[in-house]
Amino acid sequence: MKENKEQILVSRLLQKEEAAWKELFGVYSGGLSYVCSRYIINKEDVHDVLQNSFIQMFRSIDSFEYRGSGSLKAWITRIVVTESLKHIKKNPDFKKVSEDFEIADDQNDEDPNLEEISQPTIMMMIRSLPDGYRTVFNLYVFEKKSHKEIAEMLGIAENSSASQFHRAKAMLAQKIKEYKMSKTAHYE
Amino acid sequence: MNNNEWLNDLRRKMEDLTEDVPDGLWDAIRNELFVEDKTENSIPIVMSDDLKAKDIAVSTIHYKPVLYRICGVAAVLAVFFIVGKLFVFNDKKEFVNYSHIKENSPQITFPVQKSDENAFEEEMVLKRNNPDNLRHNFVVKNLNNSPNKTELKKDLESQKSNREENQKQYVHTKSQQHNENTELQPIETETYELLTKEEREQKQKLKENEKIKLAKNKNKKSWAVGLLTGNTSSSSTEQFPGYATLNGATLSLPEMWSSGYEDNPLMAILIANQDKKVDAKIKHKTPVTFGASVSKRIGKKWSVGTGVNYTKLSAELTSGSGSNFISSEQNIHYVGIPVQVNYTILQKGAFTGYITGGGLIEKAVSGDIKTKYIVDGILKEESKEEISEKPVQISVNTAAGLQLKVIKNIGIYAEPGVSYHFKDNSSLQTIYKEKPLNFNLKLGVRLIID
Repeated sequence: MKENKEQILVSRLLQKEEAAWKELFGVYSGGLSYVCSRYIINKEDVHDVLQNSFIQMFRSIDSFEYRGSGSLKAWITRIVVTESLKHIKKNPDFKKVSEDFEIADDQNDEDPNLEEISQPTIMMMIRSLPDGYRTVFNLYVFEKKSHKEIAEMLGIAENSSASQFHRAKAMLAQKIKEYKMSKTAHYE
Repeated sequence: MNNNEWLNDLRRKMEDLTEDVPDGLWDAIRNELFVEDKTENSIPIVMSDDLKAKDIAVSTIHYKPVLYRICGVAAVLAVFFIVGKLFVFNDKKEFVNYSHIKENSPQITFPVQKSDENAFEEEMVLKRNNPDNLRHNFVVKNLNNSPNKTELKKDLESQKSNREENQKQYVHTKSQQHNENTELQPIETETYELLTKEEREQKQKLKENEKIKLAKNKNKKSWAVGLLTGNTSSSSTEQFPGYATLNGATLSLPEMWSSGYEDNPLMAILIANQDKKVDAKIKHKTPVTFGASVSKRIGKKWSVGTGVNYTKLSAELTSGSGSNFISSEQNIHYVGIPVQVNYTILQKGAFTGYITGGGLIEKAVSGDIKTKYIVDGILKEESKEEISEKPVQISVNTAAGLQLKVIKNIGIYAEPGVSYHFKDNSSLQTIYKEKPLNFNLKLGVRLIID
């Protein structure tokens, strides 16, 4: 059975070959920067978290198991998420935010329509969510974690994760709505 | 959860996007993962090889990464001791000083024991016959003549007890030299252990440890814990005619004559030198500073730090001429608390350049003056006096520093700089008083915990 490109890269990474790591960086750093930016707002922090992530990859590449195409990417993404969370947890404000936010429940019955909104705009909206909300939201939506898993990862109660997610979702939906309204208002 | 459907749309829409990679990220990663091998190698190159030591280090380290880390820190520290020695040319002068005493000392011990035994005994008898009241008289007179002579008084008082120490003197000076040699020995072996860092495997383990530490640290800000040792780059010599004491008072002959007791070694020196040109020479040795520091990062470029410093100031006073002289050695120990602000100017690879400024409050915790009377090349008396004055010394400093990351969280740094020492209103004669503005070089190890 012939090894595919990803497997070849992994075997080279295992040799701790500088060129291989540079290649890994070249291929995935853009995507990883994106993943990281979902969690971390400050640019310098993003830099630091990514740096730590790559060091972590370098260190634990031995424990990586190839399980088919895309598994390398999934693995490195997981590391970036873990490192991002680690960074977020250092921030003492992280849990505080969750308590003092009031939002009208289910004010919008219809799902927001995402079609006409650009990706950077959505990204901006996600990034504008308070730290706690954003973290839970990202883990739930993009990392497809259950509230139980999120609660464990962040060291919070399960229902706290659920409520934060709920509020984050409502907040984002509201932002999208507002955005659309302002946009249509603009065109009129 | 029906309205979660839009979130799936959201995920699909937002999946597989890319974002601009932060500037210099790859360089930073490469420096962390690949370049450090080179920097680590560059340090041991300076040292000569000792394969045995290396082998031992390797085998120990396989199983004891923690021990290894400690050794690593010690080794880096040791490198700086050696480098520090190279930087401070004045250490050589110390050797010269010792050998100077040594030149005299063969004459000191052996004649006393053999041919000059009679003379020596005679003098002892003389002293026993002239009990304390004579000395007391002398002291009183001195006190009347000049209040500055208190030190002299103390010297004389303690002479009595120190007679038997005379013969040990040669051994003492010699062992001092010997100590200097042996001190180098462990430093060298420690340095070889640094070589083992080439071993990539070890490095991995090491990093893992650092990482664990890193993970445990929940603070947002970074803390750096450092050790430093420094030397101000110059010592100082002061010379003036006549006799002198370390507290700055100058003894003059007429006053001495008035006391008129010739059994006294001081008198003997004075008599022997009466027709010679007499100089007093104070040589301040280079201050040595050790310290441990903690610094906290505030922002990306700024950090503030504090810690504990220990400084030893030593000065040597030689009063007299040729083979008749008084030799005093003053040691003052300071403990100080520095407050520093650092600003990072540039970061290139493993190197970080920064400027630092701050203040240092030091308090003398202890001090003593050892005085030796050498008459005709023979050590007559030796006395030791505690310095009761414990001044607080305040100084400000600024320096430019260069830090080199050796391994992930440990950096070694050199900070050449300038410090200004304010007057401490004490009568102690220190290098700070003589030269308030000093150039110095601080060297140290810094542990950075993210």
